[in-house]
Amino acid sequence: MASDLLSIARSATRAARIQMDVTAQNIANAGTEGYVRRTVSTEEVVTPGYVANNRDVSLSGVRITGVSRNADAFRQAETRRTGADTTRAATEVTGLEDIQAALEDPGIFSAITGFETALTQLAQSPTDTPLRASVIAAAQTMTNSFNIASHQLDAVAKGQQGGAADGVAQVNTLSTELAKVNGRLSRMADASSDRTGLMDQRDMLLQKLSGYADIATSFASNGTVDVTLGGTSGAPLVTGNVAQAMGVTTASDGTIAFDVAGGAVTLSAGSLAGQQQVLLRVADVHGQLDELARTVIDTVNTAQGTGTALDGSGGGALLAGTDAGSMATATTDGAAIATAAASAPPGSRDTTNLTALRNAMIAADPAGTMDNLLYQTSATVQARTTTRDALKTISDAATTALSAQAGVDLDTEAINLTRFQQAFQASGRVMQVATNLFETILSIK
Amino acid sequence: MSSSVSTTTSAFYERSSLDLNSLRAQMEQVQTQISSGNRLAASSDDPLTASRLRNLQRQDAIAKVDAGSANRATADLNLTDSAMTEMINTLQRTRELANQAATGTLSDQQRTSIGNELAELRNNLVSLANTRDSAGNALFGGDASANAYTVDPVTGAVGYVGSGSAGSLELGDGQSVKRSLTGPEFLNFKSGTATTDVFAVLKNVTDAISAGGPGAQGAANAALTSLDDAITSVSTGQTVVGTRLSWIDLNTERQTTMSEARAQDQSTLGATDIPSAYTRLQELATVLQASQASFTKISGLSLFNMMS
Repeated sequence: MASDLLSIARSATRAARIQMDVTAQNIANAGTEGYVRRTVSTEEVVTPGYVANNRDVSLSGVRITGVSRNADAFRQAETRRTGADTTRAATEVTGLEDIQAALEDPGIFSAITGFETALTQLAQSPTDTPLRASVIAAAQTMTNSFNIASHQLDAVAKGQQGGAADGVAQVNTLSTELAKVNGRLSRMADASSDRTGLMDQRDMLLQKLSGYADIATSFASNGTVDVTLGGTSGAPLVTGNVAQAMGVTTASDGTIAFDVAGGAVTLSAGSLAGQQQVLLRVADVHGQLDELARTVIDTVNTAQGTGTALDGSGGGALLAGTDAGSMATATTDGAAIATAAASAPPGSRDTTNLTALRNAMIAADPAGTMDNLLYQTSATVQARTTTRDALKTISDAATTALSAQAGVDLDTEAINLTRFQQAFQASGRVMQVATNLFETILSIK
Repeated sequence: MSSSVSTTTSAFYERSSLDLNSLRAQMEQVQTQISSGNRLAASSDDPLTASRLRNLQRQDAIAKVDAGSANRATADLNLTDSAMTEMINTLQRTRELANQAATGTLSDQQRTSIGNELAELRNNLVSLANTRDSAGNALFGGDASANAYTVDPVTGAVGYVGSGSAGSLELGDGQSVKRSLTGPEFLNFKSGTATTDVFAVLKNVTDAISAGGPGAQGAANAALTSLDDAITSVSTGQTVVGTRLSWIDLNTERQTTMSEARAQDQSTLGATDIPSAYTRLQELATVLQASQASFTKISGLSLFNMMS
C-alpha cells in the first residue's frame, strides 16, 4: 500500500488534537488534589512491506498509543509513609497540648500552694473565724481545680476516642472504595483515559488511607493494589475487590485497641496511632492526678483525725472523695479544722495538730508532685513538637518531590499548547498541499 | 519550609502560602510575648523555666504569709513590751510606797492609806497581766483564749490559768519566733531561796501594811528586796522581748532580700526582653514584606501572559 498524504495529515491532526486536549486537561486540573500530569505517547505508523511490494514507501502517519501518568510509585510510597508519620506526630502533639492545658489551666499547683499558705496563715491565730474560713475556701479552690482538671482530661479522652472512631469509619469507607476501584481496574483496557483516572483515584485513596494508619501496598500489573494495615506484616485490609472491616474497642481506662476482621492490629503511624498514644498518655496522667488527689485527701484527713476541732470535739474528715474527679470538701464549717492537739479544751489556741498537718503536707509534697507532673507533660510536648517538626520537614520534602515530578507546571503546559497548536497548523498545511497536488493532477488538460 | 525546588504551579503556591503563614505565625508569637510581657505562653515553650517560675511564684505566696506572720509577731511583741514597761512603772511606784511605809515616823492611818493604794496598784498589775494581744486573746496566757490570771473572790489570791508556753509564729525557712511571754516566765521569780510571784509578794506586803501595828514597818522593809527582784525579773523579760523583735527585723530584712532576688529571677526567666523581641519583630516584618513582594512578582510571571 502506498502512502497517502491526506490520511497522514489527518492522523497528525487527530494526534495533535488529542495532545492539545490532554494539555487542556492538565491545565484544568493544575490545582486538583491527587491529579497526576498526563502525557500522550505516540507511535509512527508504518505498514510493513510484503514480498511483492517491499520496496514501496508505505507511510501511514502517527497514532496515539496511550495516555500515561507521570507517577513515580516510589515517591508516592515515600509521600504516604512520611505523611503517615507526620500525621501521627501532629495528632500526638495536639493531644498532648490538650493534656497540658487540662493540667495547667485549672491552676492545681497554685491551688495547692494556696491551701498550704492558708494553713500557715491560720497558725497566726488558730481561733480566728475568718482565717479558718479562708482555709476552707482554699480547700474548695483546690478540690475544684482537681475536679476541673479531671473533667478536662475526660473531655480530652472523649475527643480522642471520638476522633479514633471517626478515623476507623473513614478507613472503612476508603478501603471499600479502594476495593471497588480495584474491581474496575481489573476489567479496564490498557492505557485508556478512564484507567488513568481510576489510577489517580486509587493513589488518592491510598494517600488518604495513609493519613489514618500505616499501610503497606503491593501493586499488580493491572494496576490493582492490595493493602495491609500496620506495615507489611500487618493485617490484610484490601485484597483485590474485597475489603475487610476495621474496628476499634475502648478499654475501661479509656485506651483503645484496633482490629481488622476481629484480629488485633498494631499501628505505628497515622492519626489513629497518634490517638492511641494520646489516650495511653491521658490514662497515665489521669492515674497520676487521681493518686495525687488521694494523697492530699488522705494526708489532710489523717492529720485531722489526731487533733481537736474548735468546739473541743475530735477532728473529722476535711476532704471527701477518692480521686481527682470526686474530690470535695467534707465540711463548709471552718470550726471543723482540728488545729489543737488531741483532748484540748474547746477554743484552744494550741497549734500542735495544725503544725502536724502542715508538716504532713510538706512531707507528702503534693505541690512538688504536681510540678513534676506538669514538667513531664510539658517536656513531652516540647520533645514531640521537635519530632513533629522534623517529620514535617521530611514529609514536606517528599510531597514537594512528588509534586515536582507528578504535578502540573503551567509554563510547561503553555509551551506544549503552542507546540501542539503549531503541529496542528502544520498538518493543516500538509492537507492543503495534498489538495493542491490533487488539483494539479485534475487540472491537466 | 522545604529545601528542594519544585517546578509545578500548585507546589509553588502551596510553598509560598506555607512560608508566608509560618512568618506570620512567628510574628504573632513575638507580638504575644511583647503584649503579655511573658516569654512563655505555655509550659511546653520551655518546661524547665516554667517549672522554676511555678516554684518562684509558690515561694512568693509562702513569703507573703510569712511576712504577715512577722507583722503579727511584731505587733504582739510590741504590745508585750509596752505592757511590761507599764508593769515596771507600777512596780517602781509600789517600791516607793513600801519604802515610805518602812520609815518609822508614819502613823497607822497613813500606813492604811498606803495599803489601799498598794491594793489598787496590785489590781492594775492583774489587769496588765491580762492584757489582750492583737487578736483579742490573753497576751501573757500562752494558748489560753480568755484571761491569763484570775483573782479568787474570797481570798483575793491571784492564780495563773494560761497554758505552759506562748505560741510561736513561723518566719519562713524554718525560722520561728515566740509571739509573747507567758505570765509565769517573768512574773514568777526567785527571791532569796524561795520561788514566789509578784502578786503574792504584793499581797503579803499590802496585807501587812494594812494590818498596821508594830509588824507593819518590818514587813514593808522586808518586801523591798523582793520588789527589787520583781523589777529585775520583769526587766530581764523585757530584754528577751527586745531580742525577739530584732530577730524578726533580721528575718524580715533577709526575706526582703530574698524576694528581690526572686523578682529578679522571675523577670530574667519569664519576662520578655522587649528590645530584642522588638528587633526580632522588625526583622520578621522585613522578611515578610520582602516575601510578599517577591511572591507577587513571581506569581505574575506566567508564560500565558506573554502569549496572545
